[in-house]
Amino acid sequence: MDIIPEDGLEETQEEVKDLEEKLNGIQLETISVTVIKQPAIDKPDFSEYPESYKENTNKEKLILAYAENFRRQYVHLFRDRKPLFLNPLNECGIEKFVCTTLRPTLLPFKELYHWLGCAEFVSDYITMDQLDPPAELPLQLHSPSTILERQLGNCFDFSNILCSLLLGAGYDAYVVSGYATKEVCLSDESRDICPLLNTKPEVKKEEDKKAAGKYSVKPPRDLRSKFIIKMEARRKKEEEDQKDKERMEEEARVAELEKPPPDLLYGLRIHSWVLIRGGKREVPEDFFIEPFTGRSYSPQNQSFLGIESIWNHNNYWANMQDCSNGCKDMSFDLNDTTKWEYMLVGADRSTLDIPNVEEELYDLEDDEKDNEDDKHLDMPAPWVRPINVTEKQNETRCPSGKKTILYKKAKLEKYSNYLMKDGLVKRLSVYENNELTTLKKVQEWFGNREDKLTMRLHEGGVVTEDFVEGRQRSLKQHVYKANFPGSETDRTMTFYDNARVDGLSKRDESAIEMTEHFINRDDFLYYRHVLFDKRQKKVAPATAEGLPRPILKITEKFHRNKELPANDDIAEQMFILSEDKVQITYHREDANISASTRDFFKPPNAEEKGGNLQWAPDMTSTFQVNQHKLPTKNLTVYEDLIRLIQVEQSSIQAVRNSEEEVREILADRQKEEIASELAISVYDTERNEKAKKHRKELERLAMEEKLRRQEMEMDYLAPFLAQIGNPEKISRNQAFKLKEDCLSDLKQRLIDKANLIQLRFERETSELHKKQLEYQQKQVVMTKEDEEQYFNYCSEAMFRIHILELRLNRHKQMAPHKYMQLEQKLRQDPRLSVYF
Amino acid sequence: MSRLYDTVEPAVVDDEMLKKAVEEQGPKDEAGRIAKQEGIDYWDVLSLRLDFRNILKIDNLWQFKELTKLQLDNNIIEKIEGLDALVNLRWLDLSFNNIEVIEGLNHLSKLEDLTLFNNRISRLENMDSLSALHVLSLGNNKVNQLDNLIYLRRFQNLRTLNLSGNPVCEDPGYKLFTVAYLSHLVYLDFRLIDEETRQKAHSLYENKLGELMHNEQQARSALLEEKRKAKELESHKATYVEFLNGPNLFDAMYKEDPEGNKLSMLPGIQDILKEFREKFVDFCYKIFEYGTKEYDRRSHEVKEFNTCMDDAKHENKKMATEHIDKFENYKKKLFSELLTSNDPDIQEQKVSEYNSEVSQLWDTVMGFEMQLVDQLEETIKDFERNLTDMMSQFVEHVQGLISQLRDLENVHNEKLLEMCMLVLEKVVKNEMSEELPEDLRMLFVDKDTIVNAIGASHDVHLVKIDNREDEIVTRSSGWISSLMQSIHRAECLRNRQRVIEISNFVEHLRDEIDSFDLSEVVRA
Repeated sequence: MDIIPEDGLEETQEEVKDLEEKLNGIQLETISVTVIKQPAIDKPDFSEYPESYKENTNKEKLILAYAENFRRQYVHLFRDRKPLFLNPLNECGIEKFVCTTLRPTLLPFKELYHWLGCAEFVSDYITMDQLDPPAELPLQLHSPSTILERQLGNCFDFSNILCSLLLGAGYDAYVVSGYATKEVCLSDESRDICPLLNTKPEVKKEEDKKAAGKYSVKPPRDLRSKFIIKMEARRKKEEEDQKDKERMEEEARVAELEKPPPDLLYGLRIHSWVLIRGGKREVPEDFFIEPFTGRSYSPQNQSFLGIESIWNHNNYWANMQDCSNGCKDMSFDLNDTTKWEYMLVGADRSTLDIPNVEEELYDLEDDEKDNEDDKHLDMPAPWVRPINVTEKQNETRCPSGKKTILYKKAKLEKYSNYLMKDGLVKRLSVYENNELTTLKKVQEWFGNREDKLTMRLHEGGVVTEDFVEGRQRSLKQHVYKANFPGSETDRTMTFYDNARVDGLSKRDESAIEMTEHFINRDDFLYYRHVLFDKRQKKVAPATAEGLPRPILKITEKFHRNKELPANDDIAEQMFILSEDKVQITYHREDANISASTRDFFKPPNAEEKGGNLQWAPDMTSTFQVNQHKLPTKNLTVYEDLIRLIQVEQSSIQAVRNSEEEVREILADRQKEEIASELAISVYDTERNEKAKKHRKELERLAMEEKLRRQEMEMDYLAPFLAQIGNPEKISRNQAFKLKEDCLSDLKQRLIDKANLIQLRFERETSELHKKQLEYQQKQVVMTKEDEEQYFNYCSEAMFRIHILELRLNRHKQMAPHKYMQLEQKLRQDPRLSVYF
Repeated sequence: MSRLYDTVEPAVVDDEMLKKAVEEQGPKDEAGRIAKQEGIDYWDVLSLRLDFRNILKIDNLWQFKELTKLQLDNNIIEKIEGLDALVNLRWLDLSFNNIEVIEGLNHLSKLEDLTLFNNRISRLENMDSLSALHVLSLGNNKVNQLDNLIYLRRFQNLRTLNLSGNPVCEDPGYKLFTVAYLSHLVYLDFRLIDEETRQKAHSLYENKLGELMHNEQQARSALLEEKRKAKELESHKATYVEFLNGPNLFDAMYKEDPEGNKLSMLPGIQDILKEFREKFVDFCYKIFEYGTKEYDRRSHEVKEFNTCMDDAKHENKKMATEHIDKFENYKKKLFSELLTSNDPDIQEQKVSEYNSEVSQLWDTVMGFEMQLVDQLEETIKDFERNLTDMMSQFVEHVQGLISQLRDLENVHNEKLLEMCMLVLEKVVKNEMSEELPEDLRMLFVDKDTIVNAIGASHDVHLVKIDNREDEIVTRSSGWISSLMQSIHRAECLRNRQRVIEISNFVEHLRDEIDSFDLSEVVRA
């Protein structure tokens, strides 16, 4: 301990006394507290919006003036046309030009780089709100960020966001303001066939027939009567025509029945959608995207009845073409001023100009010219906040993660990933009728399942399940009857053959048959068919279950093994177990049309005798195609027989293994179905609990470390030094002043703390007091429970009060020590110690 | 051991010994019984062991054509011989014998493992054809020349070498030398060659090795070039215009023409000769180009014909096999039905149905064959006609070109004659400024001599040209006739075989039902 100078000591002692007195002045008393409730404000609060929402910049004002001018000219020229959608109000009630509401944005999600992904995102994420009234332009157009927040918007809001995303992804996209049918405006797809069902009939690739060579043989002469063939063909054609006609009539009738009721507002319903022009991002030709559904349409589609104007973030064009025929014959060549009237002169950069080599040479000179050209007014920067979508929002998609769409005879339900416990992401139910009552088939898609199930299809009592690669037994597809899920029933399993050691690609089963197909096996086996007998009824039913079905016949087929002569290369071997017979068919020689065969008649129980089998010439019969060849030696035949007996055993074993495998797969499937666990990627930082924990732990540690360091570095003199402007050197006076300030500050803080404790103490006691009073009043009517509650409360409150009392006392005790400590510290501080 | 006793009598490889060995080493048990009953053919044997038998001379092994492994160790063999027929041999053991020279292995090109351990060999030689050699054991021999090991460089697949116990191993540089020169080796004298030794050896012999490799490389490329040239000539020969892409014919003309050569000494004739030669060679080249073009056309034609024939055959085979497969299925069904039914009437009916089905099958398949024969015949005729046309066109064109060659020769001859006349005049008048060589001067005695000389030269030239023309014509027509003959023959053979096959097959089907019935009767 350093020696403290006398005067300082005295002073300190005084201060300590003063502190003690003050602390003692703090006494615990009861104070009643009144809470003032703030009245809720009903006025919309714009404070959350940035400045740009609430006022217009000069440039924006200028552009609005332009727009106004454009509108006036337009109204003057086309008195009978509807007004243009130019400058609606934003959410703060400020007029904004539509083009500046677009904000090209590329979101950091892979699927949103393609227009399909963008359209799907917008249609899923936002709930549609129809225009009211349907034949008038809305007064307001909200900024994209607001809409994304609310997840509710009208067609213009939809188009606005979608177009922003598409422009960000590099598409030549435009918002279209126009007219559409009622179905489109209300996003009513119940008359459309579900796009998932609309699979194109696969175009069979015709094997390009070998061009008939110069020496191709002439086909044999056709000896049939030409006339009869002709008549036959004619008759057939007539029949087909008849059928076609009937079908057409039937279709027409159905179409008539299903026609929507006539719409009073046909052609007047305002709608907004998105146009993508061909040329950029490998888009071959112009098409529309309907933002409610996210589907694309060709401009020829009948649903789109007319266009008033289109715009992107650079310019605004009013349509000058006749739309009485819908959008069928419209041209989207925006440079053609007879068809499209632009608003800003120099802003049009919509055409994709491919830089010319020659032009580039003169680029430098051109630049200046360009600058001169660019003196026209260009579009102001967008006023809206950036569009932001978090990972979670992108994943959850639809509000609350669910969405249901009705189609013609079909219903589509979408769920976001990890929302459903079984990993369901999409369910398509197809019905027989339009009222959606009789179910025809249900198709379900799953995501992130631990058992790799991706799709399940129920149709006509048959279940088809698809799996992705990576399952234990490389199952690819499983087709079975819904009512017979057990083993030894009709089922087909397809496998990923390249992932399997045995190259199995498909296994068909029924009660008495099993067929397996293999691909790319070293032993050239490609087919195995097993015929089972009915299980014999045993007396003891308990063991019957474990008894395998007796095998009647095994047929195995092999590909040609080029290393052996064809006549010695087995093409098919048939083990007829019931007759102890083996039939072998060899491959055909290139020049031959018949194949050699050999039959073996095994003596009973041959497999047990092994190599000691007695040979007899009548155990085999042979047919040799090539008679000139020497007959095969008995020795070879005998060895073949021995080998085949072994092969038969291994084939039987293989069949049993297959049966076992089927049972195992089924058991696995059952277990998985019950568990239905979802797989979480190690890269999924949100869901992977372990990873998350680890990350949190790391964060916590880092935080602690940071705090610790901060504490270490905390300088009690810093605020006071700052007060006097952080001088390089501290004078004596300043030093004293610093010390004094510092100490008085501590004193104040200690007093404050005491006050705080007192305040709490008082609150507790007053509360207790109140309760006590209440109890005394109501004691008679109180139930036992209430009473108990009261007592509990009392004891707790007493405890708290006691603690507070203790704390205050302790604080009173400790405070002088603390004060002394600080004083000591200040004395030793290198900056001040010179003066003490 | 046997060598210790001189009394042991050398044995001879005779039939008895071979038979015994084959039987001993052949199949056992029941299979052995069958084999014995039936007899084992020597050409079926794959491996044979003839050790500790005091064999002096390898003999009588020519029947073992399929043999892949032969053990002749621990005998008293002195000379490697009698192995030329064993072309499939992969494994040969001749250790513990008295061999002094490596020889007689030239036909064993598939040999992979050769053991000559404990012999008296002093030189590595005569193994050039053993390109597949993988393991070579030459321990306990008398190899004494280190340079002799370079001989082993030619075996690209040699991985294991044993030379321990040879005088050469005494050489201090033996190991590094071997490792350096035989860089493919993995095992030397029972030991794995480690990386350190390898590097040391490589750095030690880097220079010499480089030179050696360079030489080898050159020799290899020379060989390749030679092969390439031979191949090119081969392909040119098929065009019948070989050697016409250079001055070959021209040179040949003058080669057998003493007068012409003499005359070319004439002053001032060089220019004429040069011009003539240039023109001549140019024409020759034209013929050559035309010939190769025509050849391409012809081979394309032949290729197309072959593919079409194959397609037709394949198509036909497919139709026939379809029918046969269908019948096989029917047969299976019928037989199982026959088995289940006991009624003799129904059986009778089934059998007759089967027989009629068989005849019908015969009809169909034979019909297909007849159809194919017709089709092919017609196509072959077409092909022959086209090819003949093509060839005659080719010959005509070539003949035209050759007659132009002849014209050139005539023109040249006239020029020569004219010039010679001038020279003769000068000679007669003794105005000749330059000296003529003696033998040339001899020609300018009088007019007849010079004219005769020129005529002889001209005749020689014309004969050469005519010969060339004849050659082209005869060879081309020969090719066509031989090609057509082979096509006809192949087709004939195919047809016969198919017909035999069909009747054979049908007979088998009929036999089957007969034997089937028989067994039924027996069972009943």
